[in-house]
Amino acid sequence: MITTETDEQTLSATLQSLRSIGSRAAAIQRIADEVSDGAEEQVSSLDSALSSANEMAASLKETAAQAERVSNASERTVSSINETAAAIEQVTANNTNLTASISETASAIEEISASIENVSNSANEMSSSATETTAAMNEIAASIRSVKDDTESLSTSVTETAAAAEELSRSAKGLTTNADDLSVAAEETSAAINEMAASIEEVTAMSENLAGNVEEVASAIEQTSRSIETVAQNSSRINESAVAAAASSHEMDRSIRSVATMARDASDITKRLARETEEGGSKAQRSIEGTSRIRDSMQQSAAVIKEMSRRSNEIGGIVDTINTIAERTNMLSLNASIEAARAGDAGRGFAVVAEEIRNLAERSARATADISKIIQGLQESLQEAVSTSNEGVRIADESGRLAEEGMTGLEKILAGVRDAALIVDQISRAAEEQITAGQTVVRAVESTAALSKEVSAATGEQSAAAQTIVQSATGMRRTTREVVKAMNEQGRATREIIKAAQSTTTVANQVRKATAEQASSAAQMLQAVDSMRRGVISTNRALVEQSSASDQVSKEAERLTSIISTVTRAMAEQATASKQITVSVGHMRLQSLEVSRAMEEQSRAMREMTGASADVSTQVRMITRANTEQASASENILEMIRGIRQVAERNKIGVEATLTETIGLAADAGEISRILEGGKPSARRGKNGRGRNGQKAEKPKPADGNAQSGSTETGPMID
Amino acid sequence: MTLLENDMGETFVLFELAGTTYAVPSADVRQLEMIEHITPVPNAPDAVEGVVFSRGQVIPALSLRRRFGFPKVDYDLRSRLVVVSVGERSLGLIVDSAREFKRIPPGSISPPPETIAETTGKYISGIFSEDDRLILILDLTELIANGDEIQTESNS
Repeated sequence: MITTETDEQTLSATLQSLRSIGSRAAAIQRIADEVSDGAEEQVSSLDSALSSANEMAASLKETAAQAERVSNASERTVSSINETAAAIEQVTANNTNLTASISETASAIEEISASIENVSNSANEMSSSATETTAAMNEIAASIRSVKDDTESLSTSVTETAAAAEELSRSAKGLTTNADDLSVAAEETSAAINEMAASIEEVTAMSENLAGNVEEVASAIEQTSRSIETVAQNSSRINESAVAAAASSHEMDRSIRSVATMARDASDITKRLARETEEGGSKAQRSIEGTSRIRDSMQQSAAVIKEMSRRSNEIGGIVDTINTIAERTNMLSLNASIEAARAGDAGRGFAVVAEEIRNLAERSARATADISKIIQGLQESLQEAVSTSNEGVRIADESGRLAEEGMTGLEKILAGVRDAALIVDQISRAAEEQITAGQTVVRAVESTAALSKEVSAATGEQSAAAQTIVQSATGMRRTTREVVKAMNEQGRATREIIKAAQSTTTVANQVRKATAEQASSAAQMLQAVDSMRRGVISTNRALVEQSSASDQVSKEAERLTSIISTVTRAMAEQATASKQITVSVGHMRLQSLEVSRAMEEQSRAMREMTGASADVSTQVRMITRANTEQASASENILEMIRGIRQVAERNKIGVEATLTETIGLAADAGEISRILEGGKPSARRGKNGRGRNGQKAEKPKPADGNAQSGSTETGPMID
Repeated sequence: MTLLENDMGETFVLFELAGTTYAVPSADVRQLEMIEHITPVPNAPDAVEGVVFSRGQVIPALSLRRRFGFPKVDYDLRSRLVVVSVGERSLGLIVDSAREFKRIPPGSISPPPETIAETTGKYISGIFSEDDRLILILDLTELIANGDEIQTESNS
């Protein structure tokens, strides 16, 4: 791949960030797993708390039910006691009535006694009154029997009450035990809750830590996302440069080919140049030789010219002489003409001759002038020739020197050209090699371009994935914040729970105290019930006695009746009989007094029982209230525990979600790492960062490398 | 009538000076000489170059160029010393060249133009026109008169 240094650096930096993300994600995973475990523990301990609270509630309900029952029973007891009291009252009243009627009887008997004489008149009256008495007796007996029944039922009730009281006592004991258990459980719960609170605090701290880590991760992820964006941009830039590189590699190929062609041409040219240079060298050699020959000939011609010049100078000198002669001749001829003219006629012939001489001299002068001109021209030409030949010699020297230099230069050129030819050969070969290399480059660049396109696409996907990661990170942040919030809520709830547990403990203590009180009141009640029973028994006995007494009375009444019926027969025995009756009545009175006393005792006992029952009622009410309180408290606790459980569930869900997210995140980080390292992107993942195979997150082995080693379970890493 | 003067005119010796052809009557000319050696004399009048020894006489050499106001040139083979004598006086005139001897009919001699007669008229006595040139007839008297300052011992 064609990358610039900065792109590689960016990639490796991104790689580093992703590594840390992956490791952080692993850490988050671990933390989340711990939190999950903690949450599960929470949930299970909450469940156990819930169950024990439920048990408590159930037992409280049972207690409440029992208390209800006790209350009902005691109510019933009270009512039956009231009934009994009423009955006793009635009995007492009856007794009083009895006493009254006994008194009446006595008085009647006295009347009888007084009016024995009126027996026969009042025998019917007696009989009727005896019948009445008997009826009353029967009624009494019936009532006594009913009383007895009532008393029996009372006894039964009392027994029931006793049983109930025993039950109550037992249940109170049981309750005490339960309360103890509850207290212990509450303490355990409290301890557990404290532990839980501590662990929740831990978890809260961890969650906050986690939140911090998540923030770090989120910001790292954002940074990663940005760097992925940068990478994506760089990838597209790389792509562009790859495309440009492909184009320029084609260009390069073309230029390499053209260079190869040019190198071949250059090789040919240099070879030709070498040949030509060699030729040139030989030509230069010949030229040098020619130049020296020229020089020689120049010098020779210069010598010749000098000779010529000298000769012409000589000629010039001669010509000068001739010219001088001509001038003199002319002058002489003129002089002669002058003299001849002076001589007149005699000198006429002389004048002609002088004229002739003058003409000749003139011709001579002209000829010499011509010669002189010619000579001058010749001299000039010779001068020119001399200078030219000098120039020529100079030039020939120059040429010779230049030719020598040229030779040297040519030799250098030749050497250079040979070197150039070698180099051009090398270039040509190198160009050929370059062509093949260029081909390779072109192919490589094309494949690079394709790869960079892929990379660009992949980084585009990465970018999208990074966006997803960012969103996941944001979701993670939110989740973490929610977790933290939930942790805080948990903490608060835990503190509430602790308070509630404390209040529960207090309440349990109270309950224990109350149950202890209950137990003691139950014991008291037992005692009271015992006394009640005893009272009942005594009452029963009394009643039995009563009954027997009433039976006796009844019998006596029958007897009386018989007696009375025999009164008619045996009025005579009236006196004795009335005495007997009186005695019996006295007995009866005594008995009724006893009965009254017994009734009073009963009444007292009843009152005691009532009081005890009232106590029991009160106790039961207290118990009921306490129970209700307990029940409501336990309901509250239950509610709170439910709430906590819900929270714990939410927690758990949230932690699981976090875990899943984290694993997905780690998977993503691993993916990105792999992609950035140049591997092919693996098969597409499912949404929401599930694992590569779409399975839920598994816990990482806790003894795996730490974050610094940078190894995760979700992706290969390179160092 | 002498040979010097007949129907065909008087004979003149023609000389050149600064491109102009002058003529002096040949009767006035004693001889022509090459300029061989002029001995300079101190305090010589203007245009007198010096003295020459000619035919046993010491005569002054007058440079006509200088006298006529022409610039001086070097002597060459053609330079002549025209020895003229008028009466007792002889004077050597240094000219550029003197190579002709000519007979000029007097009727063909024109007087000098009036405009220059004042100045040049002193030296030029007439002008002769021939083909393509004008020949100035020189009047020696003025020259001789001016050369009067030099009294030669040989004049007797």
